[in-house]
Amino acid sequence: MLKKNIIRYVLFLIPPVFVAFFLIVPLAFTIVISFWERVGFRVRPAFTLNSYIDFFYGVRLLVLERSFLVSVEATIISLLIAYPIAYFLAARVRTALGRNVLLLFTIPFLVNYIIRTFSWTYLLGRTGPVNEVLVNLGLASSPLDWLLYSDFAVLLGLVTSYMPFMIFPLWLSLSRIDPQMIEASWLLGANPVRSFLKITLPLSVPGIFASVIFGFVGCFGESAVPIILGGVGYQLMGNTITSAMDVLNYPLAAAMSSVVVGSMVLLLLLWYFAFDMRSFLGKILS
Amino acid sequence: MSKTNVWNTLNWGYILLVLIFLYVPLIPPILFSLSGSGGSFSLKDITLRWYTDLWNQSLLITSTRTTLILGMITAVVSPLLGLLATMAVRELRVPRLILMIILLPLFIPGVSMGLATAFFFKQLTINTSYWTIGIVHIVWALPFATLIILTAMTTYDPILTEAAFMLGSNRWRAFYTVELPLIWPGIFGAGLFSVILSFNETLRTSLVQGPLNTVQTYIWSKYLQVGLSPEIYALMSLLIILTLILVGTLIVAQKRVGKTRAA
Amino acid sequence: MNSLRNFTACWVYNLARRREVSMGFSKERRDFLKASVAAGTALTISGWGFDSLLAASNKTLTFADIGVGDPGGDWSKFTKQTGWAVNLVAIGNAPSTILNVLIAGGGLKTYDMMNIVGGLQKPLVENDLIAEIDTSQIPNWQKNSYIQQYLAPGTPGFDFIGYKNKIYGVPTVLQGDSFAYLPDVTGPLDSYGALFDPKWKGYVALEDNYTTAGQKTALYLKKNKLADIKDPSNMTPGELKTVIDFLIEKKKEGQFRVIWTGFEQAVNLLMNKEVYVMDCWEPMVFVARNKGLNVLYADPKEGYLLWAMAAYIVNAPDRTAEKTKAVYELLNFMLGPWYGARITEMRGYMTNPQAAEYAKTHPDEFSAEEAKKVAEISDGVKRKFDKGGTWQNRWPAHVEEYESEWARFKAVRGS
Repeated sequence: MLKKNIIRYVLFLIPPVFVAFFLIVPLAFTIVISFWERVGFRVRPAFTLNSYIDFFYGVRLLVLERSFLVSVEATIISLLIAYPIAYFLAARVRTALGRNVLLLFTIPFLVNYIIRTFSWTYLLGRTGPVNEVLVNLGLASSPLDWLLYSDFAVLLGLVTSYMPFMIFPLWLSLSRIDPQMIEASWLLGANPVRSFLKITLPLSVPGIFASVIFGFVGCFGESAVPIILGGVGYQLMGNTITSAMDVLNYPLAAAMSSVVVGSMVLLLLLWYFAFDMRSFLGKILS
Repeated sequence: MSKTNVWNTLNWGYILLVLIFLYVPLIPPILFSLSGSGGSFSLKDITLRWYTDLWNQSLLITSTRTTLILGMITAVVSPLLGLLATMAVRELRVPRLILMIILLPLFIPGVSMGLATAFFFKQLTINTSYWTIGIVHIVWALPFATLIILTAMTTYDPILTEAAFMLGSNRWRAFYTVELPLIWPGIFGAGLFSVILSFNETLRTSLVQGPLNTVQTYIWSKYLQVGLSPEIYALMSLLIILTLILVGTLIVAQKRVGKTRAA
Repeated sequence: MNSLRNFTACWVYNLARRREVSMGFSKERRDFLKASVAAGTALTISGWGFDSLLAASNKTLTFADIGVGDPGGDWSKFTKQTGWAVNLVAIGNAPSTILNVLIAGGGLKTYDMMNIVGGLQKPLVENDLIAEIDTSQIPNWQKNSYIQQYLAPGTPGFDFIGYKNKIYGVPTVLQGDSFAYLPDVTGPLDSYGALFDPKWKGYVALEDNYTTAGQKTALYLKKNKLADIKDPSNMTPGELKTVIDFLIEKKKEGQFRVIWTGFEQAVNLLMNKEVYVMDCWEPMVFVARNKGLNVLYADPKEGYLLWAMAAYIVNAPDRTAEKTKAVYELLNFMLGPWYGARITEMRGYMTNPQAAEYAKTHPDEFSAEEAKKVAEISDGVKRKFDKGGTWQNRWPAHVEEYESEWARFKAVRGS
């Protein structure tokens, strides 16, 4: 009996140990590097805050701000688009059909996302189809410049990249809600809107959380979309870190990376302490 | 038309609109793959030449193979580990800590993860291979897989497993026959997600790939240095068509099974 | 009590089974999935085995290239001559990518040679990543008058292949850069000033690279006496700041549509007439012209941005003498006539003096058109080198200043 339990425990511990070994240790190493100093091309173990000072007092801080703002915007927009879809497919449509429609959402991802993002430059350009249609229909007097190489384009690229990802956890969460509970609430006199706000929405919070994490972190670390669709010199954290590495300034890259990771971990901790896990993990923890 | 019908139509219309939006970027590559000049598209110049030329591009073919292999590895290992992780969260006494560790890769920008892992492997003098890239992909996909399986599990009532257990089957059999089928959509979803993630992974991979190219890193380097060739567009178009056929068959097969069961 | 428990358990169990069936996961589908997983695993294992087999076959040279040095995958001539196969691997051109791959990505063990834009000797040599080249083992080196002419020791060109007076790189490709423009829209242009001309406001693109775009701007400012810059290829922080301030001013005025980062993107910008004037590489012009666009590469009065590609020998720890000999043979091959002609024809760069002659005298391998193209390109580039300009500096002394100043340019909010 004990032997069986040990086997189970060992098995259960594999995933966390796997991640700890292949991620936490390397990351800790990165943090250590951020304190090292540079000697020519090499880095030498030391303890200096130079890299952090460089980062916080330099122009790159603007990029951090921008990454944060853009990620929040993109995530909120994606959520607002994805939720109704997930709700409709989960609540009003047969499971089988819902699953198939979801599959349709995943097909675009089998086309390399660089090619997909790049297609937008073709579509949104000054001489591209969208502008042609707009001008022909008289909706615009001349081709719109702000469709491409602008904040708008980057948001568009981010939303089309991450929104489909976000539908899936929302759908999973919503489709598990027992319709009897909604019926009960109707029977008790609440109108559909109230039932939604008081019952469906709170119960779908686990799904919302999962999808927000997907969206926000994904956008934050993006480096291809800003390059392909962004305006003059538009960059997010992924780009600055890479460009710091380009001149072998590993401590600076490590410092920026650690700041990003640090702030994300802060968010994670916030969730850990503020959010009652029981409601999320539900009956799993019984 | 009843109110529900109006609502339904509106919803379907909305979904259709969003789908169109998502599929529109797929059109230019398909057009380019058919275009004679391989660049701009004109109706006068249609050719299937690139689809045959494609097979001569050895780098492209080997990259595709690497991607497929990695996809397989990730699709099998990630949901497995995700399932173990979910069970760990459920059974061990520190669920939040475990969850935090598992979800950590989500918060790491691709470039840091790639670099950190690369240095790490070098310290351990591990050579690059399908498995080193696979590890990076698995670590990246694991939190997604876990979250999906976890979400699928939130409304699964363990009393069902208990019931089976009480009926005399051992723990594993109880799990296999009762719980697994019910959370299977979650596991399948996790597997699908992992494949998609692995397939789209560019930045992390490029730092640990050594001499092995995936389709993503190959396309990225071509995009930067010499431009995308029509053969690449042809490959992508083939993929789209293949997937559409696959999905179509899946849907039709499902309907068939439904019919036989009803009959 | 017992029977009640049993009954509940039974009922619950059946409920579960029924739900399972209604989930639609029929036996057929489960079998299908099982089969595909099995197939996938088999594929994985076989792929793994296959590649170990490939690695074991030891008559292959692994060659990292940025895409320019790839003669369409056709190394048959080389293999026939020497019996060695060539395995080309794509690699990015950024210094960090290269260093990362070599230092951390196991590149030292896997690559035998690297063909990238030269000028990176300093970081590579100081990190012990490349080996000095013994030119006496490369017969085609002596025949290459370009090396004597343009890359002699003491001249800035040498910095593309040598370091501290030793040779580390074999110059496989030579080129001079300026900018592209659409003559139908702008008329003839002959100065970098076009990039900053308010007439084309919003229709100009620059490359996201301070060693090209930045240096060309510096060349422009210096030659037109708009700024006091001694040497555009190695600016002091002060001079650099002037250049960047100038660029920022232009950015705020909305002069630039975008800063491009990829070949494909650059070609696209021209093809879609998204921009009219663009700082870019000549091959983009070739590709665009091939697709039917009327675009020209400028001949600016300030001169060109000159550069060369260098093939380096990677310092692999335990390479056999036999393999090293094969590497030298490959280097010789790449300085040879057939390779030169093929690369010139495919990519539009100048390679070596024997290329044009070879293309003309081998009509079975190069059509008359192709031979003409090779000759024209070679002549064109020679003219550029004779005209001069400034040699691109891939690793300036104050490279970090360059990087942070360029970051400043990028971070500033445009109009």
